Amino acid sequence: MKYDIYLVGVGGQGVLTIGDLITEAAARQRIPVSFYPTKGMAQRGGAVKARLRLGREFAGPNIPERGADLVIAMERSEALKAVRFIKPGGDFVLFGHVWAPTAVMLGKEDYPTLEQVREQVQEAGGKMHYLAPKDLPLYEGGPVAANVYVLGAALGHTSLKEILDQSEAANLVQARWAKGAERNELAFQAGLGPMFEGEREF
Amino acid sequence: MRKNSSIPPIRVLTGNEALVLGALRARVKVATGYPGTPSSGALASLLKMDLGDDRHVEWSVNEKVAFEIAAGAAWAGQRALCTMKMSGLSVAADAVYSIAYSGVNGGLVIYVADDSGVSAGMCEQDSRLYAAMFDLPMLEPASVAEAYKLTQIAFDLSEQTGSPVFVRLVTSIANAHAPVEIEEPLSPEKREVILERDITKYTKAGSAICMDQHRDLIARLEQAGQVIHEMGLNELQLAPSAGGLGIVASGIAAAYLEEGFEILERNQVFSKQSGKNLVSTLRVVSTHPFPAAEVRALLNHCDTVLVLEELEPHLEKSIYVEAHKIGFEGRIIGKLDGTFSRSGEYGVEQVVRGVSEALGVKETWFFEKNQVSDVAEQLTAARPITVCAGCPHRGTYMAVNQALKKLKFKKDEVMVTGDIGCTILGMNPPFHTVWNEVSMGTSVSLAQGYVHAGIETPVIATIGDSTFFHGGIPGLINAIQHQVPLTLIILDNGWTSMTGMQTNPGTDEAFQPPGSHRVDIAKLIPALGVDQFFIIDPFDLEDSAATIQKCLALSGVKVVLARQECAIQAQRRGLAAGKTKVIPQECTLCKQCVVVTGCPAISLAEDTIVIDHAQCYGCGLCAQVCKFDAIEWEAAK
Repeated sequence: MKYDIYLVGVGGQGVLTIGDLITEAAARQRIPVSFYPTKGMAQRGGAVKARLRLGREFAGPNIPERGADLVIAMERSEALKAVRFIKPGGDFVLFGHVWAPTAVMLGKEDYPTLEQVREQVQEAGGKMHYLAPKDLPLYEGGPVAANVYVLGAALGHTSLKEILDQSEAANLVQARWAKGAERNELAFQAGLGPMFEGEREF
Repeated sequence: MRKNSSIPPIRVLTGNEALVLGALRARVKVATGYPGTPSSGALASLLKMDLGDDRHVEWSVNEKVAFEIAAGAAWAGQRALCTMKMSGLSVAADAVYSIAYSGVNGGLVIYVADDSGVSAGMCEQDSRLYAAMFDLPMLEPASVAEAYKLTQIAFDLSEQTGSPVFVRLVTSIANAHAPVEIEEPLSPEKREVILERDITKYTKAGSAICMDQHRDLIARLEQAGQVIHEMGLNELQLAPSAGGLGIVASGIAAAYLEEGFEILERNQVFSKQSGKNLVSTLRVVSTHPFPAAEVRALLNHCDTVLVLEELEPHLEKSIYVEAHKIGFEGRIIGKLDGTFSRSGEYGVEQVVRGVSEALGVKETWFFEKNQVSDVAEQLTAARPITVCAGCPHRGTYMAVNQALKKLKFKKDEVMVTGDIGCTILGMNPPFHTVWNEVSMGTSVSLAQGYVHAGIETPVIATIGDSTFFHGGIPGLINAIQHQVPLTLIILDNGWTSMTGMQTNPGTDEAFQPPGSHRVDIAKLIPALGVDQFFIIDPFDLEDSAATIQKCLALSGVKVVLARQECAIQAQRRGLAAGKTKVIPQECTLCKQCVVVTGCPAISLAEDTIVIDHAQCYGCGLCAQVCKFDAIEWEAAK
């Protein structure tokens, strides 16, 4: 099955790690995969995007507009850059973190509201799944890594679950960070887990 | 090389990694390069491997030097690889031209990476035109896996023909990851070093020598064309019946053919009768020399030809010539008829548009149905890139701005030339210090042009350490010789940071590759005869600004060395410059710290600023601009 994923976010959020993990999981399942990340020049705080193409033997790395079965957006404003890539009927996972550029912080420029983003996603035909940053589970008093949580959510609640094996992905998360294994297990399972109260919508 | 049995048969690799693993499989002995996006990952991954003692891998001072080292090894009979981004090929071009004339003994492969669609910021150069100018063969993989295979073929081709051979990748292959079937790397062959004295081959002394070499060069390219033809490297598939559509696709454009065909079938543009079975295709892998025989066969078989190639209509022009020669009367669809643009990446859209055009189907069907609104992107908050938290360049820009302000200059009165690398971020808010960016080292010479043009305000040039070594030194020597009044600020953070923290000649001795020796800019500048030489600590704003201010009033050449290590690298070793602490009661939320430093570690809360200590390096610049003592700073012990 051919399946395309478009990832956006800001450098420092671990966006590319999500792509890496999905790529590795796919490769282990012998699913042909192409993962094409683009990061800005800055180490942190720059716009980051990545395209993942699963199930094509010989694939160009870029996803056509309206071609992505799944969008994973880790930042509210950056999410808007992915709207043109969502396939009508595709899943659009938004982790609603706000990483405000300086001009926004100083009140000189606007920043999109959640409603605006939701509207754009819906207009493009995307199925919006919203994850509020405040629902990020805690581990020993501190929030867990958002990227692992979001990966879990995508695997548990979108069409990605028909493509990738959840336990394989869970193993990879475990193997990736020997140190924070328990913390990441919690993040991943919380993402994967059933809906709960609050702003988390599926 | 030691046997590395830990390399599994299938690995997820980037195009860059696949390319160098191909070179290792091809027994490469010497590999050189200069970092540049998107090519950096190639040599960087080699340097991470345990290669044993019989290979040499290095980041050289610039691409010309890198290429010349590789060429020397190839003249001595060894296999050599040289890696660079497209801009670097222009730096190396003088030497490449000359070596092309002489030819090589050992296989010499030049990996050049182009950035169609500009993901990193530089010219949308099409290096295929360089291959044509140099008369050198160029192979172009269309996938990560092909990068692995074609690099090996390139080495063989180079030795078979005695010609350097290019392998060209674009960003979307160089930086894409895909599973690749990998074989064990092989040790370099034990070869006798060739010490051959032959001025007719190794010099350009005189017309007879040069003309002979030129004839040999042309003959080598022709031979390469024959070898490539016999290998069937360019895949020609003719449809069972003649008179249909022929598609010529090269490089990455070929990777989108199948997907395009699927869309065309799904939308009944390809019907059962006129399906993709009636389409002939020629996948061009050798973008130079031109695969004339295959193109002729395609032209003879088809009545319409669609050319899919990114950037310049390089193949397309030669197809027109071939078409003219054989009296082809059909249509050629590409860039020269206005269908496609010479700018930007190719994708599945170009396949769909081109085939629709060829079949006379109104091509708007696809795009109308898939009309995407621009509204979403217009709502996006602009995210201008700035320097990282703790970046020493921040202090230097702030000091320049403060010095100019103290001298009562307006921002648009004083030319501050800029250069390549992280230092260019001084062009962005909140600094707006740097005016321009041209090529490696240009800042130093460009500034001299402004002086000679008769500008009356002071002229400042800014450049990073690696860029200074790469291309800035000749410009400085020129300024010293001609005693041009200017202030050169070298922002020395000890690393080639923008491209991913490579070492350069100025990197601290402790981090130099084994057996290497540091070249200290602080010793170099006085040795060149610069008397007015100052070293500043960019984290000391007052002193830095005062020093720059002083320089602007002096005549002659002034050099300021702003020295602090790249904070990212220092933080990776657990270091910090100091510690900051916000005193919320004192903070008036005047936002001066945010406005002046633009530091990404600072954000605003209810009635105070907050500093993200995960990012903060403790440079203390925010504390130095705070007028209310709301930020405490303590130097690291």
